[in-house]
Amino acid sequence: MLKYLLRRLIFGLPTLVGISIVIFVVMRVLPGDPLVAMFGAEGFQRLNPADRARIMSDLGLSDPLPVQYVHWMKDIASGSLGRSFFRGDRVSELVLHRGPLSAEIGVLSVLISWLVGLPVGITSAVRPNSLADNVGRSVSVLFLAIPGFWLGMLIVLASLFWFHYKAPLVVVQLWEDPWTNLQLAIGPATVLGLGQGAYIARMTRSCLLEVIGEDYVRTARAKGVAERLVVVRHALPNALLPVITVSGILMGFVLGGSVAVEQAFGVPGLGTALVTALVERDIVVVQNLVLLYGVIFMLVNVLVDLSYALLDPRIHHE
Amino acid sequence: MAEPSASRSDPETVGRRAFLRRLAVAAGGAVVESFPGRSRARAAAEQAFQLRAPEPDPKRGGTLRYGVASSPAHFDIHQSGTVANIGAQGPMYDNLIRRDPRDGQTIIPDLAYRWDIAPDGKGYTFHLRSGVRFHDGADFTAEDVKATFSRIIWPPTGIVIPRTPLFSAVSEIRALGPHKVEFRLKEPRPRGFMLSAFASGWNVIVRKKTLEENDYNLRQTPNYPGTGPFRHVSRKKDEVWLMERNPHYWNTPLPYLDRLAVYNFAPFSPELGAALLGGKLDYARIVDTATLRRAQEQPGMTGATYYQSVVDAVWVNTRHKPFGDPRVRRALHLALDRHALIDVVKEAAPYLLGGFVYPFSEWATPRNEMVQRLGYQQDPKPAVEEARRLMAAAGYAAGLRNVDFVVREGASWKLWAVAIQAMLKEALDIETKLRTVQISAFFEETQGGNFDLSIGAIVSTLIDPSDYFNAWYGTDGPQNYSKWHDPAFQKLVTQIDRELDDRRRRALVRQGEAILEHDPPFLPVAWEQLSDAWYTSVKGQQPRHIFGIYDVARWDVAWLDK
Repeated sequence: MLKYLLRRLIFGLPTLVGISIVIFVVMRVLPGDPLVAMFGAEGFQRLNPADRARIMSDLGLSDPLPVQYVHWMKDIASGSLGRSFFRGDRVSELVLHRGPLSAEIGVLSVLISWLVGLPVGITSAVRPNSLADNVGRSVSVLFLAIPGFWLGMLIVLASLFWFHYKAPLVVVQLWEDPWTNLQLAIGPATVLGLGQGAYIARMTRSCLLEVIGEDYVRTARAKGVAERLVVVRHALPNALLPVITVSGILMGFVLGGSVAVEQAFGVPGLGTALVTALVERDIVVVQNLVLLYGVIFMLVNVLVDLSYALLDPRIHHE
Repeated sequence: MAEPSASRSDPETVGRRAFLRRLAVAAGGAVVESFPGRSRARAAAEQAFQLRAPEPDPKRGGTLRYGVASSPAHFDIHQSGTVANIGAQGPMYDNLIRRDPRDGQTIIPDLAYRWDIAPDGKGYTFHLRSGVRFHDGADFTAEDVKATFSRIIWPPTGIVIPRTPLFSAVSEIRALGPHKVEFRLKEPRPRGFMLSAFASGWNVIVRKKTLEENDYNLRQTPNYPGTGPFRHVSRKKDEVWLMERNPHYWNTPLPYLDRLAVYNFAPFSPELGAALLGGKLDYARIVDTATLRRAQEQPGMTGATYYQSVVDAVWVNTRHKPFGDPRVRRALHLALDRHALIDVVKEAAPYLLGGFVYPFSEWATPRNEMVQRLGYQQDPKPAVEEARRLMAAAGYAAGLRNVDFVVREGASWKLWAVAIQAMLKEALDIETKLRTVQISAFFEETQGGNFDLSIGAIVSTLIDPSDYFNAWYGTDGPQNYSKWHDPAFQKLVTQIDRELDDRRRRALVRQGEAILEHDPPFLPVAWEQLSDAWYTSVKGQQPRHIFGIYDVARWDVAWLDK
């Protein structure tokens, strides 16, 4: 297992290097000038070429691209991740401050997706084409179709105008004040979780329907095992493998979706920081956050692969 | 980095005798000021003006939760041009003189309790308060004023300060003792203009030592000491900036508030409106129209709209054929139905009808005259007919094709671009291709001349035409994106800059306006107004009469009636 894990991580490295090169190049090729955000429109217009060259040099943007890339890698190796162009803050501090909240939103959303998706999927599969199945499927399609940021805005507006409620304005960590922290995380997590839950429900339904038709399930029923046990003990564990795979892939959607949903809820997580950095053309922040998202996505997929061995004894990781 | 020079590139030569004479005057002044009777008189003079809340019995205490764009790209107020700096950092600093926060107009004492203007108009002497301390405990002296303004007026390499041109006539700054400073001018400028420049909210006083220690660049120095009513406590990047009352503030009993929490919200954003209406904020700056309306309807809340120092316009690239022809530009100018354009965006933000001069200023053509003028009338037909005639005279009766129209990313500009596209097509058969770009790319495109038409907005520091006539319409003006040049106008601007008589100056401005109408450097779309909303428990803050959001940002007279 350890060997397998190491191999996966080593094979993952070229992927991460690829991601880093792509985002590094894209951020430098895209039109737009970081000095506009730095000096404001009025100040930017008064920059003379000499000032401009000097400031670009101070920011390290005048160096040849390979040199800039090496500097970035050194920053990553040192753990500081470099400094924001604009305020001079370390990117590592930003990640440590906001990362926990975004991670919490991600984990909560996966939890919600399973809590919602699995029961709906199982109910649909056990009673196919019943009223419950039809309602479950319709709701799933609805949540698949609704964009998360739009649903988020509706929730914010509804809670504001009906209950005069607005979530806290600043990051509060779980260990500082769990109740306030939950108020921040629960909205985005629910919206993201419902969207994913729809996928989980549909996948659970189709996998379970297939497994329920297998011989060993018929045998279990013939032996007089209670229907609930047939589903939970015999059918579900075998139907869950594809569902877990989908959850791993959906984690990528959570990471991507959290950018828009955090914005919609006004939650100051990493997604909001990424949007701000993009607007400001804060290259250092953007490239580090995108790479971080890449690392997380890769690790989640490794964890998903490892979980196969736990769920299916036929699979061995060597 | 070299210390900024204390005089302009052509300083007046100071001989040995002149130097000794000045030294004697400065030393004598310092000695005379130390006499007891003189000190008492001086103390009385310093105390003669003390700012108070507009209400009769303000209460002390409480934390004001203020929502405004306050995540600055850097921390150097002098180098900034955005509310993100002044909105958050303004309460920590003082000026030499300032606009009265109670009416937003009158220039009142600040760190200078008195000022004298030489009869020839070439000298401005400021008498500074004694006993004022920076937040780090250091004494405030004339050297700090000299260092601050030297950097503003003659910025060192790599430092860019948008207010530098306001002081182009200043040739020298002299510290005449510890609490007196003189600005010498090469040639006189209108008093109103110069005092407005000194009173600009951007020109906050910082310590000489702070500047020296930071190589004259405060972009990455978050908490440099000021003398202002509030002191820095903590800052969470992009979230909140906390400040506490400065207990040693010279203007006792200000400030009334114990703490100020400045939360970061984008202007016009639904998040800002939601935070205010949800009770998480006491005061919100630059709210959208829907939030303003709700606040005005809701008991216990209110709101106000005020003038902003911004014009929204379409620039026309005079270096691209046929836009170098004044007839074509005038035709485009006349083809815009400005009343309809203001109506198009009224749900997003309130705008004002106007031409090339701030429409609410004393310099502007009165509105009743303005609406009689072609291009500003309710009925656009006569203007469109004239526009068609001009296009025909210029040889473009059949219209134009493939006109590149760059649109700055933003709700109002996108709405306007579509409306203007339709107006130009219908009135003049001009076909435009819209190209929306982010702000970071917009200025690259416009400054690089990569456009035929380009819609966006520009800001000025002062309401005085000498500021924006040079910056917006001047041949080398930094915001003259159209690369417009008119020798007669340039000559007129020089006269306007130098004319000391208000009446004659106003007449010159009108002449300039006439040139701009017939040979437009850009197509004015509308003039910005902004709105704030707040709970009525917030007192002392009255933005209705202010001009722009940059001069009145200190919260020293605000108090909470809770």
